[in-house]
Amino acid sequence: MIRIIGVHKWLGGRPVLSGVDLDVREGETLAIMGPSGTGKSVLLKHIVGLFDPDAGDILVDGISVPSADRAEMAAVRTKTAYVFQNSALFDSMTVRGNLLMGLPPGFCRGRAAKCEELVRTALDHVNLEPEVLTLLPAELSGGMQRRVAIARAIIGKRRYVLYDEPTTGLDPVNATRINRLIARVSEEVDATSIVVTHDVESAFFLADRIALLSDGVVAAEGTPRQLRETDNRAVREFLDAAPTRGLE
Amino acid sequence: MKAPNLLAAPGRSARAAALHAGRAGLLGVATLRALAHPRRYALETVQHAKFIGLDSLPLVLLMGALSGAVMAQQTMYQLSPGLPREIVAGGVVGGMLTELGPVLTAVVLAGRVGAAIGAELGTMKVTNQIDALLTMGRDPVVELVVPRVVAGTLILIPLVMLANAMGIFSGYVTSVGILGLSTGEYVDGAKGYYHHGALIFSLVKAVAYGFAITFISSHVGLRASGGAAGVGRTATRAVVAIIVSIMVLDTVLGPVYKTLT
Repeated sequence: MIRIIGVHKWLGGRPVLSGVDLDVREGETLAIMGPSGTGKSVLLKHIVGLFDPDAGDILVDGISVPSADRAEMAAVRTKTAYVFQNSALFDSMTVRGNLLMGLPPGFCRGRAAKCEELVRTALDHVNLEPEVLTLLPAELSGGMQRRVAIARAIIGKRRYVLYDEPTTGLDPVNATRINRLIARVSEEVDATSIVVTHDVESAFFLADRIALLSDGVVAAEGTPRQLRETDNRAVREFLDAAPTRGLE
Repeated sequence: MKAPNLLAAPGRSARAAALHAGRAGLLGVATLRALAHPRRYALETVQHAKFIGLDSLPLVLLMGALSGAVMAQQTMYQLSPGLPREIVAGGVVGGMLTELGPVLTAVVLAGRVGAAIGAELGTMKVTNQIDALLTMGRDPVVELVVPRVVAGTLILIPLVMLANAMGIFSGYVTSVGILGLSTGEYVDGAKGYYHHGALIFSLVKAVAYGFAITFISSHVGLRASGGAAGVGRTATRAVVAIIVSIMVLDTVLGPVYKTLT
């Protein structure tokens, strides 16, 4: 379980997070939704220790991330995978090299066949052909890069998969494909997923639960149905302004 | 009206410099600590050694050849009137081993390798690839910094030696072909000057410069920010910082020569 407790964060002289409290339950897909610039990605980065909170705590399976020592942080990071907004594939490595990086360091030593099998399975999960394994990221389309990034995140069968704006920058067709992929993959690999997005359609399609971040705090939280029916002003403003793409 | 604080700008610069030095110190400690696990970086080190060494070799040899020729001519024109002509060979051998070989090789690599490492790591930083490494439980120091630093530190030794040899040879060609020395005069002059201390001094400089080039460019690259423009600034900053540090090291290492002679 992931617990976010009273997290405050200032960046560039302004408050970005002003006391965020949020629990992520085992096995669920939680969407963190909100307008651009409300600190959704910043919050996600706190979970894997890329940011330290100015106040508050983040617990991943009971380990306090901000005060974790080297071994504890290693334990947190072997449980979590992070899909970056821009995919963040290693551009000097082929797709195979990128996927292998998703496995724990030293895992493939003496287990080449097992690793190759994991690579093929991960690729299969994201509907990519083995021919792409020898390509460099620059030779892939944006949608394919995003799929490789997802494959890299799930290859190590981590317990928590964090998606940072997984559909940003993609055309509607590819965005829909990625959403469907995330939904299917989350089920297949049995991971707890956190999806940060400003895309209402994605959030409602993917999530078991949605948290709306506004003015640095969680303004509303609940199932997609509860959020659709709420008269919370922040939720209504956000939902009414959002375009739809027809995901079911 | 509030009086301008004349100490504010220098104070900010001093603070930034201290911060930079502190971060470089921490990276240095992490780099030294990571050296204890050679299996984790051996393969990458070989690949970087090829890029830093083999791919730079033609340029390094060219610079060696040109500097040997220049050294021979200037020694002849400025020192030989009234002195034995063998001094030309002494000037070439001494100049190449103690200064031109190591310094010019380092300057060539600052432009070629320092800029490349700064830009590569800078791009990785601004495109979240470094963060991606961290989230995968991998240490960017082990994966990225150590292989480059080890490769650079080791490979500069043969590079500097080859630049020295090329310079001494081109000094010979220039002395015999243009300046009218005989082979015997050049060989005698070279033998007369040569001592092991100069060669060891050259090796010491090669190691120091190899470390400085790769370590500084890695440090600057890992601190990059601000997209494509930021990467460009990072590459420039890396080259400037390396060249300044080469000259500082050149000055600081001066007394070492005295202990070796």
